Amino acid sequence: MTATPGGGPPDTGARVAAVPIAGRVAGRAWWRAATARRLAFGYTLLAPAVLYVGLLVGAPFLFSLYLAVSDANVGDPVASFVGLENFRAAWESPTFHIAWQNSLIFTVVAFVLKGLLGTTLAFLLLQSFRGKKLVRGLVVIPFTLPIAISVLGWKWMYDSQFSLINWALRGVGLIGAYGTEGWPVWLGQPHLALFAVISVNVWRSFPFSAIVLLAGYTSIPPEVLDSAKVDGATFLQRFRHVVVPMILPILLVGLLFDTVFTLSDLSVVYLLTNGGPDNATQILPTLAYQIGIQAGALGRGAAISLFLFPLLLPAMILLLRNLRRREW
Amino acid sequence: MSAHVETTTNNELTRRGFLKTTGAGAVSASLATMLSARQAPAQIRGTSLRIIQWSHFVPAYDVWFDKMAREWGEKNGVRVRVDHIPHLELPARYAAEFAAGAGHDLIYYVGTILTGLYYKNLADVTDISDQMAKKYGGWIPEAKSHSLIEGRWYAIPDFYILAPMLWRKDLFDSEKLPRPDTWEQARVAARTLKKKGHPTGIAFSHCNDSNLFLRSVLFSHGAREADPSGENILIDSKEMREGLKFLKAMFDEGMTPEVFSWDDASDNRYLASGVACWIHDAISAYRTTEDTNPPVFQHTHLWLEPQGLPNLRVSIANANAYAIWKFSKNQAAAKEFLLHLADKWLEGMTGSRGYNMPFLNDFYKKPMPVIGTDPKLQILQEFPKIVAFFGYPGPFTTPIQEVVATFVFPDMCTRVARGQSPDEALRWAMGEYRRIYAKHKRA
Repeated sequence: MTATPGGGPPDTGARVAAVPIAGRVAGRAWWRAATARRLAFGYTLLAPAVLYVGLLVGAPFLFSLYLAVSDANVGDPVASFVGLENFRAAWESPTFHIAWQNSLIFTVVAFVLKGLLGTTLAFLLLQSFRGKKLVRGLVVIPFTLPIAISVLGWKWMYDSQFSLINWALRGVGLIGAYGTEGWPVWLGQPHLALFAVISVNVWRSFPFSAIVLLAGYTSIPPEVLDSAKVDGATFLQRFRHVVVPMILPILLVGLLFDTVFTLSDLSVVYLLTNGGPDNATQILPTLAYQIGIQAGALGRGAAISLFLFPLLLPAMILLLRNLRRREW
Repeated sequence: MSAHVETTTNNELTRRGFLKTTGAGAVSASLATMLSARQAPAQIRGTSLRIIQWSHFVPAYDVWFDKMAREWGEKNGVRVRVDHIPHLELPARYAAEFAAGAGHDLIYYVGTILTGLYYKNLADVTDISDQMAKKYGGWIPEAKSHSLIEGRWYAIPDFYILAPMLWRKDLFDSEKLPRPDTWEQARVAARTLKKKGHPTGIAFSHCNDSNLFLRSVLFSHGAREADPSGENILIDSKEMREGLKFLKAMFDEGMTPEVFSWDDASDNRYLASGVACWIHDAISAYRTTEDTNPPVFQHTHLWLEPQGLPNLRVSIANANAYAIWKFSKNQAAAKEFLLHLADKWLEGMTGSRGYNMPFLNDFYKKPMPVIGTDPKLQILQEFPKIVAFFGYPGPFTTPIQEVVATFVFPDMCTRVARGQSPDEALRWAMGEYRRIYAKHKRA
């Protein structure tokens, strides 16, 4: 006889009923349970993405961490642990500080310019005009052209002797004659050179900003904008209080991509100036490439490129947290 | 009668004698052919050889090279594949191939000579280097700079790209200026002709020309980079300071700020456009001018590296070399191919329109192909006496490679040209050199 927890008469019926259920559950494999099957299905669907991120993002990242704390070079497969020596070596170099500073300037200035130009372009493309489809197609050309080709085109436009920009400016009398001090040397004067490389990055990427904005804008129900108009909201008020809050998740994802791409952009600087003159356009990716690949010091190159990580991480965390909060 | 006997005798010998005679003849002929036109060993038949090459500045050379490689492959039963890629992409490619432990059998260095970095993973090619030296009168002394490590050859020097003075005789003559045989004469000419709208220029930027030619100017003034052991930095010297002062004066008087933005082709265009009074460049500039501006080409003459100090000419050149990966499964074919290339080297020089300069002494026998027959170019035959490479007078070591890759030397000169004192610029450069050397010593 079994006493009930309440001290009443024994409940034999309950015990009899419980035994078969427990027996059924125990006799069945756990993986056949509906919950387990659902979980397995979910994980199967997730697996390719996890594998992709693990192999193509996680593994290289871990490998670069390993390289950064080793004395690895391109010709020696056996590397020894050197702790934070490579980071210290980078930090001690004046060139590294210039590259770090230029990377920040490059990213921030390019971000602001792309935001302004992208927004303007997006709103221009929203207007109705003749040939709108053609224009929409044309504006994405900078973004779709192979970077080597477009940057070489810019190299010619910035050429010290045959610059199309200079000949045009000279034509309207804004600059001095070739060979005089009034003739700008776009890639030769430190500030102009930095401006020139940022401009090419902006030229390449602002259509992307415009497309992101355009995609977001067209997803806003027209009645929301109409009602704001009826309520007397001006263009700027509608943009700030209606459009931006509604498309913010899209904007944040676009911003995330753009920041990563800009900060790690090697091609524009490498092809236009290679970091010169006198490191005036040196940025962390080009310095990492010169030291890690061209000079063969993989460990120090990896350490320099990892300095991008603390720059990117807080920005990414802030953006992703903001995005998640909005999803809830 | 005797004739008949002879004939008979001959007839009697026909069966055996004919076979013997013709057999012996055929063997002798084959041996002679093998000796004269080198026959590769049978073991490489049926194999394949992958070669990575740059895209030569003279496209005709690539055409010649590919044809030569194909013919060699057909003759020896080797499938040869030649990949041409831009030279600036080669170092990244080698890093990837090394990491993967697979790729091309025969690799090619252009300017960026990475023998010091990779030598533990490169095949020892001392055997074929010795064969080539024996056959062609030995290597010029500077050939060792980037190929010899710890007494063994790990690369086979192919050619170097010399950089003479290319000067406009018509402009010099108009001002009664002597040809630029010294840097002082070059400076005076630039100062005089800049006023007439014909300045000069040497790249002060992050490009290979800048690394090469600014060194040539300063080393010809007695400055040096590292000692013969390659261990000690020598840039901090009185000669370097004097050289930097000279460079600053030459920039102020004879150049424009354009030079801070130049790439490796800018000076070619400067000459071809008719603006420059002289440039210091490879003969690609001469060829470009020939193709694009014949009137200017007619007045363009070439001369040796100018003297800085009396009788001191140091011409820092861009060296190119071959190496074989240790992981290559076909090292035998790669070595045979390099021996064949040495045999065909003079043809290659013709293919390059005189651009490729040899590392083997016998190829300097006058008249050399192309340059020996062109009166304007004949002076180039004197370059082996003055040619040197990065690290001069020391070898091209891995720390020097990093100094070159990070453009420390051109940046030092740029700082001086922009107004920093030679002392300050040199102090900065010494800091960079020391840091780089220290890192390599620790590693």
